[in-house]
Amino acid sequence: MIRRCAAVGALLVMVLVLATPRAAMAQDARGFIATLGEQAIQVLGPGVPEVQRQARFRVLFHDDFDLPGIGQFVLGRYWRVATPQEQQDFLALFQEYLVRAYSARLGQYGGEPFRVTGARPNGEETIVTSEIVRHNGSPIGVDWYLIGHGSFKITDVYVSGVSMKVTQRDEFASVIQRNGGQVAALIAQLRQKLAAAG
Amino acid sequence: MRVRRLPLILIGLLVAGLAVSGCAAPGASSDPGAAQSASAADDFNDPYEETNRGVFGFNQAVDEAVLVPVAKTYRTVLPPPVRQSVHDFLQNLDGPVIFANDMLQGEVKLAGNTLARLLLNTTVGIGGMFDVATLIGIPYHSNDLGITFAVWGFAAGPYVIVPVLGPSNPRDLAGRVGDGFGDPANYFASAHMLWAVVARTATTGIDERSRNIESLADIERTALDNYATIRSLYRQRREAQIRHEQSNLPNPTPIQGGDGAADPSLSYSIAK
Repeated sequence: MIRRCAAVGALLVMVLVLATPRAAMAQDARGFIATLGEQAIQVLGPGVPEVQRQARFRVLFHDDFDLPGIGQFVLGRYWRVATPQEQQDFLALFQEYLVRAYSARLGQYGGEPFRVTGARPNGEETIVTSEIVRHNGSPIGVDWYLIGHGSFKITDVYVSGVSMKVTQRDEFASVIQRNGGQVAALIAQLRQKLAAAG
Repeated sequence: MRVRRLPLILIGLLVAGLAVSGCAAPGASSDPGAAQSASAADDFNDPYEETNRGVFGFNQAVDEAVLVPVAKTYRTVLPPPVRQSVHDFLQNLDGPVIFANDMLQGEVKLAGNTLARLLLNTTVGIGGMFDVATLIGIPYHSNDLGITFAVWGFAAGPYVIVPVLGPSNPRDLAGRVGDGFGDPANYFASAHMLWAVVARTATTGIDERSRNIESLADIERTALDNYATIRSLYRQRREAQIRHEQSNLPNPTPIQGGDGAADPSLSYSIAK
C-alpha cells in the first residue's frame, strides 16, 4: 500500500516535472532563455500557419512575460491618469496587440541559430545576453531582462541596443499626446487596429 | 552629390533652428491639451514635429513610389551572392572613414579591427568583394562623425526628418557632411570620375533599402503611429551606437526621468 502510494507519488512528480520543463530549468536564467529560444523557433517556424502561430504566441506571452508590468511601464505617466476600467481595458488590448504584432514580425525569422552568450545581474533584474547568428553579416544581439528568482518573467527585450518596451512607450505616449492626453483615445485606436486586423 | 547638397540643407536647418530657438516652446500656448500633456518637444526632442511629419509623409511617398520598387527589382534581378558582394564592397569602401572615427574617439581596439578588416578584405577579399575578415572573427562595426561628435560631448540638437535621407539631427547631419568631405574615396572619385560618387550613394541606398523591405513594412503595418515608432527607434539606435555596444546596460528610466528629453540645447550645437 505504502509502496504503491510512493510509486504514484513519484509518477506524479515526474509528470509535473515533464509537464513544466521551464519550471525545472528556472533556477538558471540562461537556461530559461535558451529553452524559450528553442520553443520560439518551433513556434515561429516558417511552416507554421498564422492562426496557430498566434495561438502559441499568446500562451508564450502569457506564461513568460511580465505583461502587467510591461503594460504599466508602456503607459508611462498616463497609467496614473487612467481610470481602473481604462487600465484593465488597456492591458487586455495591449496583450492582444503584442501577440498580433510580434507573431507577424517574427514570422520572417528564418530559424537562424540562436545562442545564449551570458548573464549578469542588473539591480533586481537579470540580463541574459544572446545573439542570433545570421549567415550573412554580423550577429544581432538580443538582451533579455528578467525578474524573479527560481521562476522568471521577461520584462523587456533589447534588439541591437533598442528596447522594445521603450519603443512601445514612446509610440503610445505620442498617440495619447496627440489626442489631448486622453488614454481613451489610445484604447480606441488599439481596438480599431485589432478589429481591422481581423 | 551628397557632399554638395547637404551643406545647403544643413544651413537652412540651422537658420530655421536659430530663428525658432529664440521663441518659447513652439505651439505650447495654442495647444489646449498642453496643461495636462507634455508636448513632443519635451518628451521626444522634437520641437518641429508638425514639419517633420510633413516631410516624413513626403519621404514615405517617395519610398513607396521609387525606393521600394527599385529595391525589390534589385533583389529579384541579382542573386543573393552578388548582392552580398555588393554589400561587402560598399562596406569596405567605408573602412577609412570608420577607421578615422574610431581613432577620433580613442577607440584603439576598434580602430585596429577596422584597419585589419580593410587590409584583409581589400587584398584577400579581392577589392572588398568578400568579407573574409568576418569569417576569421573580425566582425564589422559601424562608426561615423555623428557618433564622434556625440562622444566629444556635443548635443544632438532637435530631431529632424531630412527629405529623402530620413531621420537625423543637426549633430548627425554635420557628421554626414564631415564624413563625406573626409572620405578618401570621394576625393579620388570627385577628381577622376564624379559618376562613381553618385553611383556609390545610389547603390548604398538601394542595398540598404533592399535589406529592410520586410521589417519596415511590418512596422508600418502594425504601428499605431509609424512616425513616433521610427523616431523612437532612431534615437535609441543612435544612443546604442554612441555607447559602442550592441547590448544595453542601464535600465531604462521612465519618461518622467527625461531620458528621451535629453538635449534641447540647439544653441549649444550651433555655437560650436
